[in-house]
Amino acid sequence: MEAVIDVSGVEKMYRRKVHALRGVDLQVGAGEVFGLLGPNGAGKSTLVKVLLTVIKPTKCSGTILGQRIGDKSALREVGYLPEHHNFPKYLTSRQVLRYFGAMSGVERKERNKRADELLEVVNMSNWATHKLGTYSKGMRQRIGIAQALMNNPKLVVLDEPTDGVDPIGRKDIREILTRLKDEGRTVFLNSHLLSELEMVCDRVAIMVHGLMRQQGTIEELTEGQSGFVIKSHTPIDQIMIDSVSSVMNGVACNCEPGSTLLRLQTKDAQAVQPAIDTLRSKGVVLDSFGFQRPSLEDLFIQAVNEDEGGATPGATKSQKGGQA
Amino acid sequence: MNIKLMQTKAIFVDAYRELNAKKLFWLTMGLNVLAVLIYASMGINERGFSLLFWTFDGEFNTNLMSKSTFYKLEFLLWGVPIWLSWCATILALISTAGIIPDLVSGGTIEPVLSKPIGRIRLFLTKYLTGLFFVGAQILVFSIGCFCVLRFRAGVTEFGLFLAIPIVLAFFSYLFAVCTLVGLVTKSTITALLLTILFWVFVFILNVGEQAMLSNRETAAVRLLDAPGKIEAQERFALKRVEQLREQGKVIPGEDGVPLPEGAADTLEAINPTLQIARTKQDDAQRAFDTWNTWETRVYTVKLIMPKTSETLSLLSRNLIDQEEIGGLLDMMNGINEENDPNAPDRRVAERVNEVMEDRTVAWILGTSFGFEFVILGLATLIFVRRDF
Repeated sequence: MEAVIDVSGVEKMYRRKVHALRGVDLQVGAGEVFGLLGPNGAGKSTLVKVLLTVIKPTKCSGTILGQRIGDKSALREVGYLPEHHNFPKYLTSRQVLRYFGAMSGVERKERNKRADELLEVVNMSNWATHKLGTYSKGMRQRIGIAQALMNNPKLVVLDEPTDGVDPIGRKDIREILTRLKDEGRTVFLNSHLLSELEMVCDRVAIMVHGLMRQQGTIEELTEGQSGFVIKSHTPIDQIMIDSVSSVMNGVACNCEPGSTLLRLQTKDAQAVQPAIDTLRSKGVVLDSFGFQRPSLEDLFIQAVNEDEGGATPGATKSQKGGQA
Repeated sequence: MNIKLMQTKAIFVDAYRELNAKKLFWLTMGLNVLAVLIYASMGINERGFSLLFWTFDGEFNTNLMSKSTFYKLEFLLWGVPIWLSWCATILALISTAGIIPDLVSGGTIEPVLSKPIGRIRLFLTKYLTGLFFVGAQILVFSIGCFCVLRFRAGVTEFGLFLAIPIVLAFFSYLFAVCTLVGLVTKSTITALLLTILFWVFVFILNVGEQAMLSNRETAAVRLLDAPGKIEAQERFALKRVEQLREQGKVIPGEDGVPLPEGAADTLEAINPTLQIARTKQDDAQRAFDTWNTWETRVYTVKLIMPKTSETLSLLSRNLIDQEEIGGLLDMMNGINEENDPNAPDRRVAERVNEVMEDRTVAWILGTSFGFEFVILGLATLIFVRRDF
């Protein structure tokens, strides 16, 4: 798959003190919806800003849409919604869209047409002639998304697109994202809302303390962690666990003595049957049985906890003479 | 359309909308029109000074100066130095001081920087939008004054339009400072206040240098006059010595004891005014040295600063015939040797004028634009290197 974003070793040090990015490698393929997650201060927005030339990296090699990072010409085909945007309040939404369209190099006739189309897409047509100063946060967010699409971009970078948007608005945004994916555009999402990402992303990356901890499809990331879970009505003791393990033929069996949950790391339902038989033969009453995969939230929390700096979120400060 | 042109046009349209939203642009424009109307309401005729439909009889009439000179003088005496240089400039600074702080404020700059436009071009275009709209205001004022001169005095004076580049150059020095401060502090109020403070500093520096220059030239004139005065006193003393000798009288010294033949202080003894003249010469030399040292120091500081007053004075150099209004300007400047011997005399004024005239257009604009270039260059460098 052709890489739309392909960077390696991205580093950013602020004022020689705060090490916001510590050698980030990232590949985003064409046409995919890519989600970047991480706790506050992990460096997500910094990474996005580096890609979009808003921030100058301390060290960076790689390309965006085939052009080296920092090359402004590549940005002609990139749409960007910043996290805490503040579009001119003295402009109407139509004027905002036309202004940013012109800044992206969209011809007048095309941008006039596209502005009206996008206002329709984000359900803001009725507000086209109202100034942004009169808008709610959610309405401004919709205009922000429309603004990011004005230049018909190949790559759309959205930093917290659902921030301040109500549930109906979030659903609308998800539909827009799906539509963008169907149109073959690449979408790069930065969000805290893990459930949102889980619903729309093809691939995700988890960033902690300026480093990319995990990267891949949700299936890839949960590989080895998904499996069947048997829930018993009464606590399972060590003897029962040993009995089940002895019949599982190499399938890992995880259970704490006294717990009511028994986890079996396999995707094969057939392979789980001996465990059920064993438990039932011992007179254990089963409440439920099913396949479970860790959620994105589980992966996220796991990644943060596994981080060498502990669970404290935030960018690391460099120590004298070296990295933190 | 070329993308660069498209972006430049978009930035200018956006700047217009921003100024339009602030209302100050149109307020300033309205005040400019009002200033032109006031300018038009005044006049001069054979009876005296006129205001709207009334004439105030007096010596200030067309016998003293022509109508065209009256209107040009009015333009030079209050149109440029008071209205455009102070009132309109303050209003223009208030209108435009927010351009850069607003650009670099959080949430505004990110989407703009993520567009295919270089930072240098973005920053300088924003700077130019400020100058452009101030230029538009000066244009309106100049066109108004041009029409007044054309229809009230019957003179077509295209030289009035020199006010546009000259006042704009003057404003651009201040706007460069405002831009730098606005970029560094991200605060419109701070940018405005520090720019006005800087302007006052330059004004004081200029007034100080003028005062020192005037004092130096006063001392120089006294120094130049001193040998003649001493010579006259010496001649008087020699004549007196000869008279005494012819009469066979001795020359009395200070204590009444006759001076020996050929004594060194014979002339001073016979004419005490000669000693006073010599003392005055020494005083003039000391005064000249002192003022020259200070003037040189202040001039050195001024050299690297923008020449706001000199820039504006370029307009009067080109617009009006100094011969025609010389007497009037002398009167207004208080030059009247007969009535007030302590006032700066014409020669001092002429010498100061000569020094000022020696400061060429290239020197005035060159050093001022040099300052602007450095300040703007520094601001651009900061903007280009800054992470937003």
